[in-house]
Amino acid sequence: MIALILRRGALSLVTLFLLASFIFFATEVLPGDALDVSLSADEIANMPAEVMARRKAELGLDRPILERYWGFLGGLLRFDLGRTIITRAPVGEIIAMPLRNSVALAGVTLLLALPVALAIAMAAAQAKGRAVDNAVSGAAIIGYSIPEFVTGLLLIAVFAVWWPLFPATITASTNDPLGVLLAAAPLAIATTIIGSVAYLGRILRVGLIEVMAADFVERLHLSGIPRWRIIWLHALPAAMIPGLSAAALYAASLVSGVVVVEMVFAYPGIGAELVRAVTRREVHVVQAIALAAAICVVLFNLLADLGIAALDPRTRR
Amino acid sequence: MRAALRRPAALLGGLLVVVHLVVAIAAPWIAPFAPTSLLDAPLEPPGATYWLGTDDLGRDAFSRLLWGGRVAMLVAFAAGAVAVLGGALLGLAAAYRRGGFDDVVMRLVEMKLAVPTILFVAIFVTGFGQSVPVLIVAVGIIQMMGVVRTSRAAGIVLMEQGYVRAAQLNGESGLIIILRELLPNVADLLAVEFALRASSALLLVSALSFLGLGISPPTPDWGLMVEDGMALLESEPALVLAPALCISTLVLGMNLAAEGLADALGLDAARGGGG
Repeated sequence: MIALILRRGALSLVTLFLLASFIFFATEVLPGDALDVSLSADEIANMPAEVMARRKAELGLDRPILERYWGFLGGLLRFDLGRTIITRAPVGEIIAMPLRNSVALAGVTLLLALPVALAIAMAAAQAKGRAVDNAVSGAAIIGYSIPEFVTGLLLIAVFAVWWPLFPATITASTNDPLGVLLAAAPLAIATTIIGSVAYLGRILRVGLIEVMAADFVERLHLSGIPRWRIIWLHALPAAMIPGLSAAALYAASLVSGVVVVEMVFAYPGIGAELVRAVTRREVHVVQAIALAAAICVVLFNLLADLGIAALDPRTRR
Repeated sequence: MRAALRRPAALLGGLLVVVHLVVAIAAPWIAPFAPTSLLDAPLEPPGATYWLGTDDLGRDAFSRLLWGGRVAMLVAFAAGAVAVLGGALLGLAAAYRRGGFDDVVMRLVEMKLAVPTILFVAIFVTGFGQSVPVLIVAVGIIQMMGVVRTSRAAGIVLMEQGYVRAAQLNGESGLIIILRELLPNVADLLAVEFALRASSALLLVSALSFLGLGISPPTPDWGLMVEDGMALLESEPALVLAPALCISTLVLGMNLAAEGLADALGLDAARGGGG
């Protein structure tokens, strides 16, 4: 098992290195560099050539791309993500608290959505083809057809405007303790949970139905074991495996969902930071956020892989 | 197709898609006003002249609603086409060649899965600017990875077939075999994939526009309309709820149609999607 952990961990590091390279080249390969975008056309026209050159040199934009690439990778190893173009603030400091807030939102969502999705998927699998299953499938298709920002909007319309139980947007600020922040964000959490339940429920239902059709389940049936026992004790662990292998996909979709939901509710996380960075072309901030998200997804996937290995001895080779 | 229409959910889905398509195509002729002209005082309430009222800049919200799906649908269908064509060729080539090429392709697919879709587009927009072609390419690449996986899996099964072996013994080149023997045999699968990818692309594009990273103003667009109208939810709910309803019914229609199509062709739609 330890050898396996080491091997999978090394593989994840390789993936992260490739992702970091992709993120760097996709954002910096074009010659139109960040300085041109952060200044207006007027400012560029009026700026003396030597001032422009000095600004570029300060930002390191005058160096060839490969040199900047090595600098970028070296910086990552020292946990130095660079500075912003306009305010020259360290990127790490800018994204640290928003990142904490987003991870908290995603974590709470996962903790609450997983049991709900599991219960729904089991009810549907137990009643395959009957009314319950059809209702669940119907609800799921509606659930993943409605964009998250529309779900959020509907929750605001119902629970904040027409029936003012909760605030529409979040009043807590970036550096508040997590408890205060999350307590101020019930509708945001509800929105991400709805998205996650639709997503997870669908994967788990398919997995459970597949397992329930397997030979070993048939054999358990014939030996007279009650259906609920088969589902809980035998089918569920087996169905966890396809569920876990979809974990990376789910983690990625959760991050995207969190970004959108944060913008709907003005939740102080990386979503707002990302949108601001892209529109101002703060390249280093976009890189740092993309990298942080990729690390989360790869880490989540690594844990899921190890979970599969623990559940299924066949993969431990 | 007829079998797909026998299912009421699929029929409803197809109908929703057709209605949205017809409205989008006919918008220039049926919209009462030009979608970008400033007509009247901002935030006129709904009435006989302006069916949904005017927006915060005094433009006719109903006309903007009729126009609002055009660019998003264009991006979604173009990205779906990019995804299906590129994904099928890559996936089938991986199935045909196997070995190192297959490893590289699958590694790329896995890597892309580790980057959340919205961040993937954000990276592209940062690097290449915010425009419709950039959007089509970025969303197309995102959707392509799923198509690579499904068509590779189908291609591996097809490689066992006698006629592929026969073509190889005939000395046909790899490209000819992929195009003439493998591609026609995954046509059904690709039709379903196209419907799924286009619907997922539309969902993504509208979310991006909502965030301000997708279609840019002043283009009339549902995602942008929702974003603009959010603050007015209390006073002018129609400005937000109408475009939200349009996006949701179109994506729902596409998903229902895709599932119906998959059902009719004997494929499993639930495997696709996501990302």
